Amino acid sequence: MRIFFDPEVLAAAWPGIRSGIGVTLGLALTSIAAGVALGLLLATVRALIRGAPLRPVGGLIAAYADVFRAMPPLVLLVVLYFAAPFAGIELSGFMAAFVALGLVLGASAEEIFWAGITSVNRGQWEAALSTGLSRGEAFRRVVLPQAVRLTIPPLTNRAIATGKNTALASVVAVPEVLNQAASIQAQTASPAPLLLAAGVYVALFLPLVRIGRWLETRFHIR
Amino acid sequence: MSDVLELRGVGKTFAGIPALRDIHLAVGASELVALIGPSGSGKSTLLRCCNRLTEPDAGDVVFEGEPVPAGGAELASVRRRMGMVFQAFNLYPHLNALENAALAPRRAAGLSQGEAETAAREALERVGLGDRTSAMPDELSGGQQQRVAIARALALRPRILLLDEPTSALDPELVGSVLRVIRSLKEDGVAMLIATHEIAFAREAADRIAFLADGEILECGPPAEVLDRPRTERLQSFLSRL
Amino acid sequence: MSEFFQTFLNPGVMAESSGLLLRGLWVTLQACLIVVPGGLFFGAGLALAQTLAPAWGARSLSWGVDLIRAFPPLVLLVLIVHGLPFLGIEPPPLLGVGIALTINTSTYYGEILRAGILSIEPTQWEAARSTGLGTMATLRHVILPQGVRNVLPDLAGNTLEAVKLTSLASVVALPDLLRMARVAQGVHFNPSPLILAALLYLALLWPLVRLIRRLGGRAVLPA
Ligand SMILES: Nc1ncnc2c1ncn2[C@@H]1O[C@H](COP(=O)(O)OP(=O)(O)O)[C@@H](O)[C@H]1O
Ligand SMILES: [Mg+2]
Repeated sequence: MRIFFDPEVLAAAWPGIRSGIGVTLGLALTSIAAGVALGLLLATVRALIRGAPLRPVGGLIAAYADVFRAMPPLVLLVVLYFAAPFAGIELSGFMAAFVALGLVLGASAEEIFWAGITSVNRGQWEAALSTGLSRGEAFRRVVLPQAVRLTIPPLTNRAIATGKNTALASVVAVPEVLNQAASIQAQTASPAPLLLAAGVYVALFLPLVRIGRWLETRFHIR
Repeated sequence: MSDVLELRGVGKTFAGIPALRDIHLAVGASELVALIGPSGSGKSTLLRCCNRLTEPDAGDVVFEGEPVPAGGAELASVRRRMGMVFQAFNLYPHLNALENAALAPRRAAGLSQGEAETAAREALERVGLGDRTSAMPDELSGGQQQRVAIARALALRPRILLLDEPTSALDPELVGSVLRVIRSLKEDGVAMLIATHEIAFAREAADRIAFLADGEILECGPPAEVLDRPRTERLQSFLSRL
Repeated sequence: MSEFFQTFLNPGVMAESSGLLLRGLWVTLQACLIVVPGGLFFGAGLALAQTLAPAWGARSLSWGVDLIRAFPPLVLLVLIVHGLPFLGIEPPPLLGVGIALTINTSTYYGEILRAGILSIEPTQWEAARSTGLGTMATLRHVILPQGVRNVLPDLAGNTLEAVKLTSLASVVALPDLLRMARVAQGVHFNPSPLILAALLYLALLWPLVRLIRRLGGRAVLPA
């Protein structure tokens, strides 16, 4: 049993893993911010476009959401990191992970926001337009605030999933928690660094998972 | 030419089925015109064609002597001066009474926040809700909610109010409070076009009544004429079934 | 443009690597055949346990489920595949991957099935009981058939997630589709195999996405 919690190995592993926590959090927060912003932007465009010439844009946005829902994030990451250079696009591991996680979350977020927007009663649009608000103002002041309430629990859950998916970045040599633990494990031939990393993930994500569960029951989303 | 609103030959077809046919109707300044007719006869469609929430596919809607523009800021500006009240209130559930009424003055008419709130407060006082300005819609009774919706329209000082069965969604004991507000608006000279099933109210408050059936105005005139001496069989049977 | 095709969709490279990719696809499908039925089986067990357990039991189960969910699936996978050997247990790679991903995905299946059970009116329990059915018989013949139908879109949605999850197997050297695509890319020094693999995943999963939409599924499964 001692081999799993070898204090010497743990002490040696800690500085690397601690610096990995910073990378994990940095990657998580930037991709979550970018993904949510992308999803909100696309859903807004989809809600505001009208008229024949722009119709296909809505279809394109829906297709984007479908494709990135069907695509495993790791496959996307590997393509971005290992295939993009052949097109002259050299992404660092961090950038590739940021783009992959942002695109995947962006697709979910678009779908979540869109579902929220379409669930707002038509009468709300009509009331707002009947008072002379522009479509943009009606969307921003009347429809979106109501839609956002519905999106909070599912969006929280998707954001947590994105945070956990930062572990995928270890595959493209981003020195986040899992990557640090794996390289120290390779040097020490001990499972202790991995267990330490596992403990770090639990400490980071268990509270968030509990909050996500609480939000789901509180908002009664089904 | 003191008509506030005039419909000239307005028609609307939904998926091949005509909902409105060649509607001619004018509402003068300070006039109250009641639309009666069985459900499905086109009352809502007629009202919604006035501010183009529903796009008419024939005829013209003329507001203060000008055709109602097809879209953009010009249409928005006409809509501000044409208040609409919906059967289901359609209050914004995330805003309190004052915010509901102040939103358009602030964001559509471009008043300052202070001016918008003053206009909203005055409108709420006018419908007897000056003491409920901070109530959320779900804390109000149906009658109070509908009065907030009327205040939301009034806060923009409209030239005419379009009311679509404003009391149909209310419990019977709450109908009176809303009708009282509408009557007092009439006394203040607000022009109104109102779809309603409250025949007694129409008889006493309306200057003219238009009877709509299958998308056509079959009769139009003063209440005594339309209600007491119906010329068409459709109107006779409609009135006898009330 | 033709240069683009030569680089990313090179017919020669794709033809030469198709054998490797097909072998990888077969491994991916095998992983799915472990993870999806396994996840459903243990998920159903979890849902039943949470339904039948006394309150404190259900509460501890929910903490256990959340503990598992706090792990990124890849961390769970690495922990099991690289950690178990230190305990002297060395399962074949496919089994190790199967165990790790089944543990992860069964918590989601479990939660969905439990929601299905809870979606059934208590009067259904009472009606079944009044005809003399026991708890298990009521669950099996009355509650589950209706409950599963109510959560079918979510079950399909989680199956999609489970299939996507199997791509993680490549990280622990299981020769699945993604892994084989990387190998072929190295051999030919050309990214076409990777692109082909991505397209294969899309071909596999796009119909599932469409099906979920048809079922009226929500995008958003719990994380
Ligand atoms: N958006 C719509 N799409 C299709 N048909 C409609 C729509 N709105 C109204 N209609 C039809 O138009 C006719 C008139 O409806 P409406 O104006 O709502 O009548 P009323 O308000 O008098 O009950 C009805 O036959 C109704 O089914
Ligand atoms: Mg109507």
